[in-house]
Amino acid sequence: MVRSIIGARIRERRRAIGITQTELARRIGISPSYLNLIESNKRGVGERLLGSIARELSVPLEDLDGAAERRLLDQLREVAADPRLGGLGIDGNEAGELLGRYPAWARAIETLARSERELAAMVRAMSDRLTHDPFLGEAVHRMLTHTAALRSASEILTEVPDLEPPQRERFEAILATESRRLSDVGGALAAYFDRSHTTRSAITPMDEVDALFEAYGNRFDAIETAVSGVRIADDADEPALAAAARNAAAAAIGALIEDAEEIESEAARSRARVMLLRYAADAVALKDDAFAADAHAVGYDLDLLAQRCGQPHDRVCRRLTSLEPAAGRPRLGYIARNAAGVLIDCISIPGFAPARHGEACPLWVDCRAGGFPGRTLRQRAVFPTGLGFVFVARARHVGQAGFGQPVLHVTDLLAMDEHDATLTVYGPGRNNELTAEAVGTSCRICPREDCAHRVGEASDDH
Amino acid sequence: MTRSVLLAEDEPHIVEALAFLLGRAGFAVTVVSDGEAAVTKAMTETPDVLVLDVMLPGITGFEVLRRLRAEAVTARLPVVMLTAKGQREDRETARRWGADMFIAKPFSNAELVEAVTRLAGSTAR
Repeated sequence: MVRSIIGARIRERRRAIGITQTELARRIGISPSYLNLIESNKRGVGERLLGSIARELSVPLEDLDGAAERRLLDQLREVAADPRLGGLGIDGNEAGELLGRYPAWARAIETLARSERELAAMVRAMSDRLTHDPFLGEAVHRMLTHTAALRSASEILTEVPDLEPPQRERFEAILATESRRLSDVGGALAAYFDRSHTTRSAITPMDEVDALFEAYGNRFDAIETAVSGVRIADDADEPALAAAARNAAAAAIGALIEDAEEIESEAARSRARVMLLRYAADAVALKDDAFAADAHAVGYDLDLLAQRCGQPHDRVCRRLTSLEPAAGRPRLGYIARNAAGVLIDCISIPGFAPARHGEACPLWVDCRAGGFPGRTLRQRAVFPTGLGFVFVARARHVGQAGFGQPVLHVTDLLAMDEHDATLTVYGPGRNNELTAEAVGTSCRICPREDCAHRVGEASDDH
Repeated sequence: MTRSVLLAEDEPHIVEALAFLLGRAGFAVTVVSDGEAAVTKAMTETPDVLVLDVMLPGITGFEVLRRLRAEAVTARLPVVMLTAKGQREDRETARRWGADMFIAKPFSNAELVEAVTRLAGSTAR
């Protein structure tokens, strides 16, 4: 029970109905000094006694001890602990007093604090968007291209003294054309920002947890250390593995989440716990150094590696993304999508930007892999930005086995940039036997207007 | 002896300006406007310097560079990469595939001509 709310509540209510402390103490059979301690939040109050008090004060028990108030109190304490307010001398222990006596003010403070957190998250999402949005990337590219032509032509006009009249006319014409094109790009950018709006729904718990993994480069040394000594039987099943991982890494995971600036909402905290526990289980099943050596030995061949380690493909994929960076070791990203194409797992690497909220490009090889469960497909994918990746995808069966059970698949996709692919069996090779395929991120922001798989009309931005 | 430059760029106005400038600086300039042509020309004509745009139709400049570096005849061909995005990732990719220089658009004419001249001077032919 939350002593600091209850005491203040009892006092407020008692005064409101005009009963003295001595009188109430008499009615509930305790000493006035003990009631005073309770009202001053210096003593706790048991459920039975609280029941008697509520009866005497003619209020429902919930009004004295409400779960909503407990949450509100926690949030007020969080506000009090905000380092930016450190100079104001706010005592977190007074939050109960505030809530008990001035509930509307307490709610106002909490509402403002929550709104501030949401705005901060929105700013982060928008900044992320500015960095990764393919449309903006393309617009900047066009802007710089036109500016380059303008700059070259104008430098020729001003710095070359012996320019023939026809040459002068030609470069002046280039100036005129390129200025117009540059204005068009500027106009398209302005229209884009006019239409853009970031909503709260864009910031999901998944985004928050993804940001945490990104901040750590997909590798949590504290968990690696915590599980390094854990030994499990070769035939240990998943529950046993999960239990061993939890025992060894729970403290490290708790500390990680506590310290993580990226994790703000309760839902994200809970997802982070699940994802980090899974990370720990992966780390127990596939021991860091031994796994890295195995992976290198088979050229990061996903199928061989899964067979050699006796572990499922998705675990091997995830583990590959968390290898400690080293020379000669590829940097790998990973996504998993369900049959509806919804992203259910995402471990990013620089430049690799899967569509997180639907409308994904259907040309990625994982969209094809669902048709060939258990078969590993490879694709050399080139994005409109010019960045090239090698994708390796394979669909696996999920859910219960057995006749009559629905057959569902999840597709795992490993991503590596073209250079890193040469460190693996998936590299394009010298003879370039692997044809590059033009892909995008999402039709909404894809500049490939002539793509046969475009969904809907091409945006007039492009 | 006249030094030669292969210019792989698909923006006609940039090509026009660069061809004019490099020609004026004494280079024999050949122009190609897509990635496949850049690979073929670089291997058959072995210019003194290749000026290679990243964003080319067909295969990208990075891929052109990767293929050229895999062939003995062009493994050491001096390459200046041009990009309209001075992003760290592009710069890093260009470096890893073995570009000698990396110039971000919009560049100054003097900067580009100087880079090409310097690289042409380093070619032992």
